[in-house]
This record gives sequence, C-alpha cells and structure tokens, in this order.
Amino acid sequence: MNSAAEVSHPAKYLRSLFRPTTVLVEDEASDCPLVESIIDRLPNPEVVVVKRPTGADVDRLSQDFSPLTTLFLARHRGRFLKACPGTAETYRCCLYQILHLGLGCNIGCSYCVLQGYLNNPFITQFVNLDDAFAELDRELKRPGTFYRIGTGEFTDSLFMDPLTGLAPRLLDYFGRCPNAVLELKTKSVAIAGLLDYPGEIGETIVSWSLNAPQVCAKEEGHAATIEERLTAAALCRQRGYRIGLHFDPLLDFSGWEDEYRQTVASIFAHLQGDDIIWISIGAFRFMPQVKDVLKENHPQTNITAGEFIRGLDGKQRYFSDIRRQLYRFLVTEIRRYAPNVFIYFCMEDKYLWQDTFGLAPADNQELGCWLDRCCYRFNRLNSA
Amino acid sequence: MNNVRTDHCFPADIDFADRTFPFSYGSWPVRLEHSIATAGLLQPPLLVAGENGFRIVCGRRRLEVVRNLADKFGQEEISVNVAEKSSLQELFRRALWENLAIREFNLVETADIYSAALKIFAGDEVENEVMPALKLPLRPRFRERCQAIVGFSQELRDLLAAGSVDAETVDLIKEWSSAERSALVDLVAESNLRRNKLREVVGRLDDLARRDQISPLELLPAVRQAVLAEAGNIDVELLRRHLKARLYPQLTAAHLEFVARQEKFPWLKPFRLDPPPDFEGGEYRLSFTFTGSKEWEKICAQLNAVALEDIDELCRRS
Repeated sequence: MNSAAEVSHPAKYLRSLFRPTTVLVEDEASDCPLVESIIDRLPNPEVVVVKRPTGADVDRLSQDFSPLTTLFLARHRGRFLKACPGTAETYRCCLYQILHLGLGCNIGCSYCVLQGYLNNPFITQFVNLDDAFAELDRELKRPGTFYRIGTGEFTDSLFMDPLTGLAPRLLDYFGRCPNAVLELKTKSVAIAGLLDYPGEIGETIVSWSLNAPQVCAKEEGHAATIEERLTAAALCRQRGYRIGLHFDPLLDFSGWEDEYRQTVASIFAHLQGDDIIWISIGAFRFMPQVKDVLKENHPQTNITAGEFIRGLDGKQRYFSDIRRQLYRFLVTEIRRYAPNVFIYFCMEDKYLWQDTFGLAPADNQELGCWLDRCCYRFNRLNSA
Repeated sequence: MNNVRTDHCFPADIDFADRTFPFSYGSWPVRLEHSIATAGLLQPPLLVAGENGFRIVCGRRRLEVVRNLADKFGQEEISVNVAEKSSLQELFRRALWENLAIREFNLVETADIYSAALKIFAGDEVENEVMPALKLPLRPRFRERCQAIVGFSQELRDLLAAGSVDAETVDLIKEWSSAERSALVDLVAESNLRRNKLREVVGRLDDLARRDQISPLELLPAVRQAVLAEAGNIDVELLRRHLKARLYPQLTAAHLEFVARQEKFPWLKPFRLDPPPDFEGGEYRLSFTFTGSKEWEKICAQLNAVALEDIDELCRRS
C-alpha cells in the first residue's frame, strides 16, 4: 500500500461538482463547525439563516432560492446509521448500512430514484457530525457484529467532498474501526481528499457507479466520463483503497451489448481483477410514481418506456427475460477478464441468481455474509 | 354582506359570456334543475355591473339553469344580489371562498380559476392565497397542468369537467399537439374509453411514442385500424391488448409461448396452470376443481403420474 504523496492533482480531482452561490443554514445548526468550514471554502456565498423548515416552508424556500445553486446545511435529528431501504424479502438485499450524512446531489442522472423519494429539493448536508460519530461509537460497540457502511445511498459520497471535506473525517474514524468498513460510492472524480489523506485508510472501499458510455453521455448529467472514473479508481487503488464497482442501473436499449462490453473492457484496462472487492449489478427499477417525476425532470429521456412490469415489491422492473439477458451477458463479459471477482445482484430474486450464477443466497443474511467475507476485517474479526 | 344591494333582473340582462369569475364549468346537476324548476331560485346569485350586462360573480350554474328554464317557459324576473364599490380582487375572493364552502372544483374550474387569478392578483397573492385554496402545490408541474387545461379544446375540457379524464392523463397529453389531442378525443368518442382505462391507453401511447421516437398521431391510426380490422369496432379491451403487445413484445411472446407449451401436455387438460404474474418470481399456480372424494382421488392419481421433466419444461424460462 502506498502512502499519501505530496503531489499536485489535476483540477478535476480538487473540484466540487456542486458549487452553490447561496447557503441556507438552519438556525439550530449554525453553531456546528462544519458550517463555517463549508462557507469558508465558497467564494462569496450568500448565507441565509432560516428556521427549521416544515414541508410548506420548503416549497416556499424553493421559490425564493434556486435548488440548483443553493446548499442547505441542517441538523439531522433522526438516526444517522440505518439499514439500506433494500426491498421486500422477495428480492435479495445485502443488508448494507447507510450513514446518512446528506441528501440529494446535482449530477442530474435521469434515472435517479431520489427524484421520487426526496421531498426536499435542496442538496442538504447534515452538519452535526459530532452527533453522527457519537451514534457510530454507540452502535459499533456491539460485540461480534460486522458492518458494511456506505454514505452513497441518498447522495453521491464524493461529489462535493472538496467543499465539505467529509471523506478525510470519515477516514479518521473508519480507518481505525476494527469491525466496520466504509464504502464511498460516487460518479465523480473528486478524489483529492482521498489521495492526500495522510493517515491509516484501513479497508475503506471507494466505489464507482458504472454504465454504458452511451448511458453515461445521455442519462448521467454531468457525471465524470467512464474513462475519468476508472482513471480515478486506478489512482485510488494505487493509494491503497479497495475498489468497488456498481453496474446499477443496467438499461435495456438498442446496442446495449456492445456498449456494456466496451465498459467492461475499460475496467480491466485500468484495474486488475484483484483490485476489485466486488461488482454489483442491478437492472433499472423504480417506484411507479417516480415515472412521472422522471419524465417531468428529464423530458428527453425514454428510459421508462421499456417492458416494465410490476415487481413483487411494487417497483417497476424490466420483464425478467430482459433482466436475465442483461445479467448473463455482463457476468460473462466480466468473468472473461476476472474469473474470481465477487459479483452480486442488488435487489434481485433467487430465480435470476440461480439462472445466472447457478446458485442463490438462501436469504438476505446469507448474501450479507458473502459480502462481509469479501472484507479482510470481517475475516480478521472472525478468526480472532 | 357589505357593498351589496338586492335587485331584480331578467336572465337576458346577464352577460353569460363573461368569464372574469370562472368558478363553474361543466354541466349542472339534474337535482339543481329540478330544485329550481320546483321551488324557484332560493339563493340569489351575486352579480356585478359590466359593460355588456351583469357579470356573474357567484351562482353561474344556478343562473344557467334559470336561463335554460326561461328558454322553455319564458323569461321571469329573478332576485339577485349586486355588488357595488367592490374591487375585482374582493369579488374574486368572495366567489372563491363561497364556492369552496360548498363544493370541490373540477380540474377545468381549478385551472380556469388559477389562470384568472394570475390576471387579477399579484404573484405572491396567487401563491399564498389562491393556490393553497385550490390545493395546488407550488410546483411547476401543477402550474403547467393548469395552463395546459386552459388551452385545451372544448371537447377535451368537457371530458375533464365530467371526470372522464384525470389529472395524470392531462400531464401526459399536455405536451401533445392539438392534432394529437384531437385524435385522442375522437378515439374516446368512438370507444367510450373512460378515466382509468383511458389513462392506461394514453400512458402506453406515450411510452410507445417515446420508445420509437414517433408522434402519437402516427401511432393512433395504426392501432385503431388494427382493432377495427379484428373487432369491427373500437373494442376497449382489444385496444388495450394491442397496445400492450406493441409495448411489451417479449412479455407477450413469453405468454404466447407458455400457452403453446401447455398444449404439448394433454394431462394438463383438467387443470389450470398459471405462470407467475408477468413471470416475476418463480411461483406457478396449478388449480383444479373437484366435486367429491372420487374426483379428488382421480386428480391426485393424474398428478402423481406426471413426469418431473414435464414440470421442468413447463416452468422453463430461459
């Protein structure tokens, strides 16, 4: 593992994808140190202190302040660590834990399901980090329990990291944590904070969401290109991070085979199979009500006009034959380069597991255990 | 009521074409006509003097009934309230809250009221007062929906006011051209499609148009012709099936293939075998009916004789 080197990074690794001109600060959060630190990193932002907004206030605030250029700094009052809102037991879920530090992102992916879930249009950063770490201290004390924890479920883990400086703070904590690994998921390349981190990075996983080049260009807003993401992944690997890759959502479109083949080839032009801790795969799915929001926000996209059926969890999913074709193709392509890399499905049923891999986890616990075993810390914890 | 005098006038004195206060759209309830025909106009409408006669502030439906009855039975003087020295905003507010106290607005009324309010009130008054009163969230989608409805043809507005077209359908067709919407109205007239099924049909047309990058206007005649050729009329169920088959070619093929596969197994005749809904999950359902123990015994024997390879073949998905 290499240690952090004093190097100058390309500007893109240093730049936050979100550069707000206005910062709304919830009055009860204004004394949190992260507020000042974020504001200091912005050039002349308009700072407005607001009372803790209710639903109607949020609508009103969004009339006065454009969500496109406004960052909301708030105190989170609920639990920071929560189970990933996977899905019904009918589909296998990996029992991931989410560290809930922010909401929303401005990358603008047309397929983003957050469009239908979040009732707050502002990109929101929770700033009461002391409360978050105190909760982690309490939670991670449970003996014999191993945690896979991510911050990229309700936001992108790194898209504004140069602004928040959160990743180094998290590394300070998780680098020393014996029974947990942190996964940072992103479509950005704002990795300077990771590369320059001087301390123990532990077994932290940096993951990139990948897709076909055409999907990246048409549906993923101003996310980094696939090449940029993989170049950043290779740099993070050099620094000693383990790399996760997530093909989610896979889309069914004309010519998808060639496109996904191209992405798989790009992966292994930048990384070795052993560099990758896991690759997850999930076909596009969404709650029915998201369809209207998605079409409203992205009138040009036609990604919801496929053969979507109502899944057993109420979500719209591609008809299973289509999912099977997508999965088999992608798994075969990946296996050509990396026969032993761990591949799993995110929210898929046991029949498609069986059809694709020839085996299926009996339940969510088993799938969770498979992923835990990919982590060295889990193995050390269990052999101790 | 302040600044209001009681007066009398004939229906002919009223400017029915004026829509400054557009609080009613659509047909009036039969019971209202029956009530007025029987008991007369008990609640005087609120009017205000205008250039072409009295403008209706509140009570349009009552007055339209009165006018309709007058056409049949001759003009009779009616008792009315006439507002004086009141601003447009005051009258609009009065009409809004008086109507809200007794009924819900339909989609056309909501859109018309919102649109009229934009001309009468400042922007923040519309947002703070009118939109909440109309239960319109302060989001572009709802404003755009209202603006679209105001511009729809009368035929389509009539369908909306009657509840035959819902808000979700409006959101789908608001981007369509007037020719496309007109073709849809023709289809509705031909097929008697209403509300939920109409929403499904429009949703599928919209999905197909997006997927194939063509106009719904190109799709509609082809689908219509196909249905006509098969049924001789625009049968709603057939129309739905045609659209589903076009939008779900692989799923449709899977269903047809599953049905064809069952034909290979004569032992299935007394049973009904259903695949998982849309082939999602892996649970097949076999059902049968029986009338007593003998029949039960016979069926069990038949089932016991089934080769496991047959079951694998029937449940094969790949």
